[in-house]
Amino acid sequence: SSGINAECPLRPGEDGGDIIYPEISTNIHHELELGVIIGKKMSKVPKEDVMSHVAGYSVTIDVTCRDLQEKCKAERKPWSISKCLDTFCAVGAFIPADKLAHNDVEMVLKVNDEERQHVNTKDMLFDVPTLLEYVNRHITLLPGDLVQTGTPDGVGPMVRGDTVYVGIPGVSHASFKIV
Amino acid sequence: AVVSTQSGHYGRGKIICIGRNYAKHAKELGNEIPTLPFWFLKPTTCYVQDGGNIIYPEITKNLHHELELGVVIGKKMSKVAKEDVMKHVAGYSITIDVTCRDLQEQCKAERKPWDISKCLDTFCAVGPFIPADKLDPNNVEMVLTVNGNTKQHANTKDMLFDVPTLLEYVNQHLTLLPGDLIQTGTPEGVGPMDRGDTVTVSIPGVSEASFKIV
Repeated sequence: SSGINAECPLRPGEDGGDIIYPEISTNIHHELELGVIIGKKMSKVPKEDVMSHVAGYSVTIDVTCRDLQEKCKAERKPWSISKCLDTFCAVGAFIPADKLAHNDVEMVLKVNDEERQHVNTKDMLFDVPTLLEYVNRHITLLPGDLVQTGTPDGVGPMVRGDTVYVGIPGVSHASFKIV
Repeated sequence: AVVSTQSGHYGRGKIICIGRNYAKHAKELGNEIPTLPFWFLKPTTCYVQDGGNIIYPEITKNLHHELELGVVIGKKMSKVAKEDVMKHVAGYSITIDVTCRDLQEQCKAERKPWDISKCLDTFCAVGPFIPADKLDPNNVEMVLTVNGNTKQHANTKDMLFDVPTLLEYVNQHLTLLPGDLIQTGTPEGVGPMDRGDTVTVSIPGVSEASFKIV
């Protein structure tokens, strides 16, 4: 529909950049997540209308310092230092909205060719329209905004030198190196 | 000079907020004095400029003001050493870190991120851009009033971690870009704002901004 606009420099199957292993952590984890890319400004949109504001999707990694996250939780502090460092949102190429059914997306994550996470989004507790409506009650969403919709089980460590692969079989994949 | 002061950058970049940077504020909320700064982020949809409205969200019963000196970045920086950080600063702004105090307490009790208490639309109220050479960041008097009554009044000399220390610390972990804003923590005197209130923040003799709570 008109007004939907999104861009991503990465093409399907193209190698992504490097994920930087920060000095302050000893336990960097991967979290495989379906990313939803907003194409049209939205504020307090009801659930039945949210999907018309979506431009597309991306297969992504929510990179996390698991040790620092545990410390933030124990100290009742924000999680930001464990989640917000440079290169902590690894994104695959833009996938137009009509290419996927958001509640039936198979996703895979491998580290050095070894499968670590494998899921279908039908297992989400809150589906994409529910998530978008909930977040949008509180925060205006703008074209280009990305919503990472949570990780399935199988999260685990990545170390310097690893190659991490994320994919939606038959649709999109991307690789990143941990440096 | 390489520092960009283009007003086009101001009010556009990510917002990094420092927590617990004044001893009396840590105490008033029953918190320990930190040995290191900590920070959290607000999205750019939080910005509201001087004269705008701060939206009282339906999900809270206790919306609080927090008066903070804002530092505006003018030049891209990554892991810059403390002696060089100030060259990357374009200027300042007098700001409010708007907070749902009840939801923040709930997030802390549940060991969850604070975002729902800090990151809602209009939760970063900013006064006009002040060029860097107009202020000494270590000696800035700041005042916040609600309906004309003074609620917060402090000087940045009371900061636990000064501006260069904060910038170096954050920049070890996060690249900073022109237009990014660092909110450098609130002094004591935080308290509630209600629908209909007018909140004014100022650096006496230098800058002032007002916001209405709706």
